Amino acid sequence: MDKPVDLLQGRLDRLIRTAVSLRPLRAYGMQVRIQQISKNRVEIHQGPLYPALYRLDHRGRITSEWDESENNRTAKYYRLTAAGKRRLQTEVEKWNRIADVIAGIPGTTTEEV
Amino acid sequence: MTLWSRLRSWVQAMLRRSRMESEMDAELRFHVEAYAEDLVRGGLPHKEAMRQARIEFGGIERAKEECRDARGVNFIENFTQDLRFGLRTLRKSPGFTAVAIFTLALGIGANTAIFSLLNAVVLRLLPVPNPQQLVQFTYTFPANGPENWNSWFGYPHLERFRMQAGMLSGVFGGVGLNQVNVGWHESAGLAQCDAYTDNFFSVLGVAPQLGRLFAPGDDREGADVVVLSDRYWRSRFAADPAIIGQTILINQLPFAVIGITPPKFSIYVGGARDLWVPLHTLDRFTPDPNRWQASFTSWLLIAGRLRPGVSLARAEAELDVIHRRLLAEQLAVSERRGSQSMQRLVRESHLVLHPAANGMFSGLRHPYALPLKLLMGVAGIVLLISCVNVANLVLARACHRRPEIALRMALGSGRARLIRQLLTESLLVAIAGGVLGLVIAWWGGTLLVRMISTGDAPVPLDVRPDWPVFGFTAAVSLAGGILFGLVPAIRGTRVDPGSALKQGTHGTTGPSRFLDRVLVAVQVTLSLVLITGAGIFTRTLDNLRHVDVGYERDNILMFSVDAKLAGYPKERAGALYRAILDKAAILPGIQSASVSIVRPVDDQYYLVDRIGEVDGDTLPDGETIKVAWNAMSPGYFSTIGTPILMGRDFDLRERGAASGVVIVNESLARQVLSGQNPIGHRLDGAEIIGVVKDSLYGGAREQPRPVFYRSLFQGEGGTDPSQWVGAGAVSFELRYRSAVGLVNDVRQAVASLDRNVQIFHVKTLRAQTEDSFLRERLLATISSFFGGLALLLACLGLYGLMAHAVARRTAEIGIRMALGARPRGVIWLIVRETLCLVLAGAIAGIPLAVWLSRYAKALLFGIAAPDPVVFATSIAALTGVAVLASLLPARRASRIDPMVALRYDG
Repeated sequence: MDKPVDLLQGRLDRLIRTAVSLRPLRAYGMQVRIQQISKNRVEIHQGPLYPALYRLDHRGRITSEWDESENNRTAKYYRLTAAGKRRLQTEVEKWNRIADVIAGIPGTTTEEV
Repeated sequence: MTLWSRLRSWVQAMLRRSRMESEMDAELRFHVEAYAEDLVRGGLPHKEAMRQARIEFGGIERAKEECRDARGVNFIENFTQDLRFGLRTLRKSPGFTAVAIFTLALGIGANTAIFSLLNAVVLRLLPVPNPQQLVQFTYTFPANGPENWNSWFGYPHLERFRMQAGMLSGVFGGVGLNQVNVGWHESAGLAQCDAYTDNFFSVLGVAPQLGRLFAPGDDREGADVVVLSDRYWRSRFAADPAIIGQTILINQLPFAVIGITPPKFSIYVGGARDLWVPLHTLDRFTPDPNRWQASFTSWLLIAGRLRPGVSLARAEAELDVIHRRLLAEQLAVSERRGSQSMQRLVRESHLVLHPAANGMFSGLRHPYALPLKLLMGVAGIVLLISCVNVANLVLARACHRRPEIALRMALGSGRARLIRQLLTESLLVAIAGGVLGLVIAWWGGTLLVRMISTGDAPVPLDVRPDWPVFGFTAAVSLAGGILFGLVPAIRGTRVDPGSALKQGTHGTTGPSRFLDRVLVAVQVTLSLVLITGAGIFTRTLDNLRHVDVGYERDNILMFSVDAKLAGYPKERAGALYRAILDKAAILPGIQSASVSIVRPVDDQYYLVDRIGEVDGDTLPDGETIKVAWNAMSPGYFSTIGTPILMGRDFDLRERGAASGVVIVNESLARQVLSGQNPIGHRLDGAEIIGVVKDSLYGGAREQPRPVFYRSLFQGEGGTDPSQWVGAGAVSFELRYRSAVGLVNDVRQAVASLDRNVQIFHVKTLRAQTEDSFLRERLLATISSFFGGLALLLACLGLYGLMAHAVARRTAEIGIRMALGARPRGVIWLIVRETLCLVLAGAIAGIPLAVWLSRYAKALLFGIAAPDPVVFATSIAALTGVAVLASLLPARRASRIDPMVALRYDG
């Protein structure tokens, strides 16, 4: 197994929130969804996913409920709460601003300064 | 909002733990199974797919643990887990646990016992509303001694303050009557009575438990009401509520009981009163027309309550003006207005307010506050030593537990988690030590109160643990637990699991031994401080016992009688005392007997007078010489063994002599008539008939002072002693050959004269002298006890360290011996190490002890605080004990068989 990209806790939290912002997800599905979002560039461990979910739940960013899964088994589905949505929005804006700045730096030439 | 949801989630998690657990379990299982299903779809056999899924998921238990952590449930759970585990580990090593708990209990118990006494004597607030508003009045006078203030006023001051003090919501005054005889239904009994103005209880804010307390108008001429204390009501009247309104006899005078104070009410520490009567009842007991007008007298306690929001300084400024104006007015009309010293007093005296939140000046708090604070410090050091001792034990144990800790770290335990667990264990020990310490303190506290009780009854001090004491013990235990637990826990978990597991328990390269040595050296340092402290206090006591006081302390029995308690008028008191003296002198076993107003080493009275005239000439500038005086029957000097150096003793014929005769002591003779033969000269008209050796009037700590002696049964002249016969109690002194049954004989002899006459303060002169050293004895005894304890603990610490060292160095010593080292050399190896430690500790301890000893300076007698002899003996004792402690391990080391040692896996 390849050594996965080491995810900082904050990033994992954000990936989870991004994943569940689209529609309610099971934890298992979340892993797949995160791989999709990151275009297979990020692989997350299955173990640390759960502590992160419980932490977000505890902080009120996401909420969970038990529901039927596709193969008729009950599974726990997570979705974003209003607070989580707001938080995600501000973070995305902030991140985009930073990304803009950083993206611009390598192409900068002396003349532009 | 988030805080709320977080809290809700936490509470839910706590309340529905089992549901959460099963949900978590289901969710994780679902995850693994779903993944396995995917793998099966990819072509793997079911069994292999499950295995693969589980591997890829990682540690399921660990994930669960982290989930629990994420919800904050784990804290409590971990704690209970740690608690259970800690209890189990402690139970597994009962030896360690018992020693650690007992050591700590000694330290905590010592602290709590001293603290409960300190709390009762110094810290506890008066049981009245807003005690911090209470102030006691005192005034300064020009310095002529160490104590240049006085807390007793004359009545005009009280009147003036009550009228004019605007910053105070009330001012009351009063005086103790000492012992009174309370008669009730034909039975008599002594009690402590105070007389106060009628606003006493209302200013203090005390409400009656039963009946009523003083009301305005109660304090008038002929007043005849009395308030009982709860304690006296219970002990004398069996808490009978019907006593209200009944009449009791106080010194044979009728008083109506009007009420009972609430329990514990007192304005003095350790000075509980039984009865309170209005101030003007003094006229009924002893009429004195001068009492309410006389200026420059000192007999009234004055205290008051500040108005809310008024500072002490503002009130003091206002009262000072009143005080100084009154003094000036009084001097202007006084016959002593010409006197320089009086003018100086009026010029320089100022009023000073003292906070009285925890009681008025008390004979208990004033002398004991400093010793108790010192002993508190000493007890603190003992606790520190016991904590260090336990820390050493825990360290040694941590050494043996290295494999266990390494294993747990290898299994994934975090270091913080392990430290928390080790600390929980330490706290368990500390709590057990605290509980046991409380028991020790309970017992020790009552023992201490018994030690300081010298009177006829035990000092009424409540040292039962109250909330401050419990709080103190809890804080001390907790602090102790953290103190001795934290360092070993941090160090014990600094383990590299790999190497530690390989080494096993017998590692030669354990953690640094530096810390252990430092801890033991610290113990030595602290012990040295305590032993030197014990040394200087013991020397002080010894010095006091060997002072030449000018009388013989052995074979003298003393007892007091107060005729007025039995209702005798002043005129008949002298006859009663004469009769008692005659009876006592012929008791079997009595060599000689005498009676005096002040007894040797008296703790009750102190008489002073002024001589203004020598051989008929007044002293220059209207000055007077302040002298102490006493009056006694003939035979007093031979009874107490004070030699008459010149002239003769009184004899009974002097009775009624017109101008009187006096005997002076050497100091007075030297001061007034230096170089002359004093016999035949006259002081204030009284002829000097004898000179006696100086004796220390107020006890061994005093310098000899000028004293003159009058004949007790002498007639008029000067200050008439017969005024004293009847005003206060007198003391009888009996020189005996055998004390067997003596006290009983005396009681019977007195009772045969008058059944109503009671004797009290029955004591030998030796016991009375010892009682006057009480403070010193208390300090010497307790500090010696603590010093011994510290020495024992340090000895144990040293022994433990050395035994451990020898065990660890078995292989090394084996090699040394195989290479030819002699047993003596090996012993020296170990003893030398011990001596180095003691030396290091002593080098640190001497300056510390010198620095600390300045706090004790005021309590020492005949010894400088840093006394070289004390230091030398302390260090010698410490060295001796240290060598003793290391000898056993050293001998064990010298008997190591090289062959066995080298084979031994160490």
